[in-house]
Amino acid sequence: MLRKKIHLQPPLLAFAGAALVLSFIFFLVPMGFIGSYVGTEEKGVVDGLISVVNSRLVRVVFANTVEISVSAAILTVLLAYPVALHIVRQKARWRIVCFSLVLMPFWTSILVKSYALLIILGDDGLVNTALRALFGIDGINMMFNRFAVLVGTTNFLVPYAVFPILASLAAQNMQIQRAAEVMGASPLRIFWSITFIQSMPGVLAALLMCMVISMGFFVTPALLGGRQDMMMANIIDMYTREILDWQSASLISVLLLVFSGALSVAILKIQSRTGA
Amino acid sequence: MIDKSRSNPAISRRSVLKAMSASAIAGIGSFPFIKPAFAADPLVMVSYGGSYADALKEVIADPFTKASGIPVQILNTPDLAKVKAQITSRNVSWDIFDASGPLIMAGSSAGYWETIDTSIVNTSRVVGGVGQDRVPNYIFCGGVAWNKEQHPSGQPRNFKDFWDTGKFPGRRAMRNRVSETLEMALLADGVSPKELYPLDVERGFKSLDRIKPHVRKWFEQTPQMVTLLQSKEIDWIYAYPNRIRVAQESGIPLEFSFDQTLNLFNYMAVLKGSKRRRQAMEYINFALQPETQARLADKLGLAPVVQGAETLMKESSRKWLPDVSNPNNVFVNDEYWGAHYAELDKRFKEWILI
Repeated sequence: MLRKKIHLQPPLLAFAGAALVLSFIFFLVPMGFIGSYVGTEEKGVVDGLISVVNSRLVRVVFANTVEISVSAAILTVLLAYPVALHIVRQKARWRIVCFSLVLMPFWTSILVKSYALLIILGDDGLVNTALRALFGIDGINMMFNRFAVLVGTTNFLVPYAVFPILASLAAQNMQIQRAAEVMGASPLRIFWSITFIQSMPGVLAALLMCMVISMGFFVTPALLGGRQDMMMANIIDMYTREILDWQSASLISVLLLVFSGALSVAILKIQSRTGA
Repeated sequence: MIDKSRSNPAISRRSVLKAMSASAIAGIGSFPFIKPAFAADPLVMVSYGGSYADALKEVIADPFTKASGIPVQILNTPDLAKVKAQITSRNVSWDIFDASGPLIMAGSSAGYWETIDTSIVNTSRVVGGVGQDRVPNYIFCGGVAWNKEQHPSGQPRNFKDFWDTGKFPGRRAMRNRVSETLEMALLADGVSPKELYPLDVERGFKSLDRIKPHVRKWFEQTPQMVTLLQSKEIDWIYAYPNRIRVAQESGIPLEFSFDQTLNLFNYMAVLKGSKRRRQAMEYINFALQPETQARLADKLGLAPVVQGAETLMKESSRKWLPDVSNPNNVFVNDEYWGAHYAELDKRFKEWILI
């Protein structure tokens, strides 16, 4: 396989340049401010780091955050894959309809979606009322627990996963599949050996994006979660606004950023090995 | 190698980009960095938004502007992190901070507030809660609330009942912060209201251990007091009656018990380094006039903090007032929380998780 180095053409550079300037002003500079708080006069960086890492609160919440984001990302990709596969097989006009169906929740405020889930999943919600009326089951506890957080998170993330998967499905050469068909491969075999393998870069990109996005979730665990579903963003908020301990807040933020960064590098490594 | 030239043309990168950019434009609509321009330099007050801010504007800010010629701009959400940022960067743009005890006390111990100028602010009629750098503007309270459509046979009416899961089996909801919650736990455990402070922290957490399995939601946001009851996800909740009153007026069948309440002050403070310090003091003094206090209390279902204001209130709003003389009730001690909030709230959040 021949790997070409990609050089940005001058006109393209102008497009990328605007994005670079934006992310410099709105990401790197604020990150620098946050980073400048890791050490204070009373407590150096090392002491601060030790007290943050030793805090049971931070450790438990960190484990929670990783658990929730990894499981949410996997669930999201599992849910988004069939959607993307369906969209890619539609005719052009239907595709636009499907696109807007995927994007509609993407545009809806996360607060609105969270309250809507309360109406659907609650003790007196649609699902439980239907279960009671149809089967006489005495309701399932689906609210204020990990389940509700995962439903809320995947609901938010599905559009983020659909598009990269869709892109890698749409880029496939249909001739290969046709060739396999001619040679007598079953549809399942074609899917696993050709379609799925070739869509792996999209799947990995989707996984990565969902994981990184859900690590910063704040509203969903606060509104839908139970007492054990606190996430890093909730703790950072507590340190910043309630306790005014900006040193711990910035240390936790930096740790979270480093962790997401390391995760991204790992996944990108795997992605490049799959031969995208 | 994949032959890109034969890729499926209908889902081009362009259509995906179009969809993405449309959503980006939707995001720009809420761009937070654009400030509205004002002709005169107004007094900037930050307070809780919604109907509360509307009432402040109607009852205090607008009449104040009419009397003094000083325009007042009311901003949403008293955020202490923003106060810290303004003061440490010496670029103070807010003047008055209107917020509840824990925030005001944290700001006070960090030295973020100006000393109250008593030559302008008349604090002699204020019933309590006056500090060197803060003045209360109303009293609110918290107690047990429920939805009338549930449990018609009987309701817990005080904190002991709220803890009595044998007599009142059901789903409870409490705040996910330590102040107020620890007081509730101790009162429910039988501590006399008179001997509550300094709090017996160990006993409080032991008492919380007993209620923990029955608390379905430790809620973050005050509006959830209404939504959790309205959606019947919760049977009994620790709530503020002014919220319950608004819900009742809009036809939601909620009820609140005044048998036992925690009473709390809400405060006003002036940011250190405020460019309009004198005007801010004048505003605070204006807010403490008995007539102003009575009208604000009528509107919001809160108790006034100056003597003589209560008699000016409407009869119908008086039943929503916290009973300050009831021996079961307790005034939350903000000085105590000023000294212990950070340490105890961390312990509480850890306790919740485990």
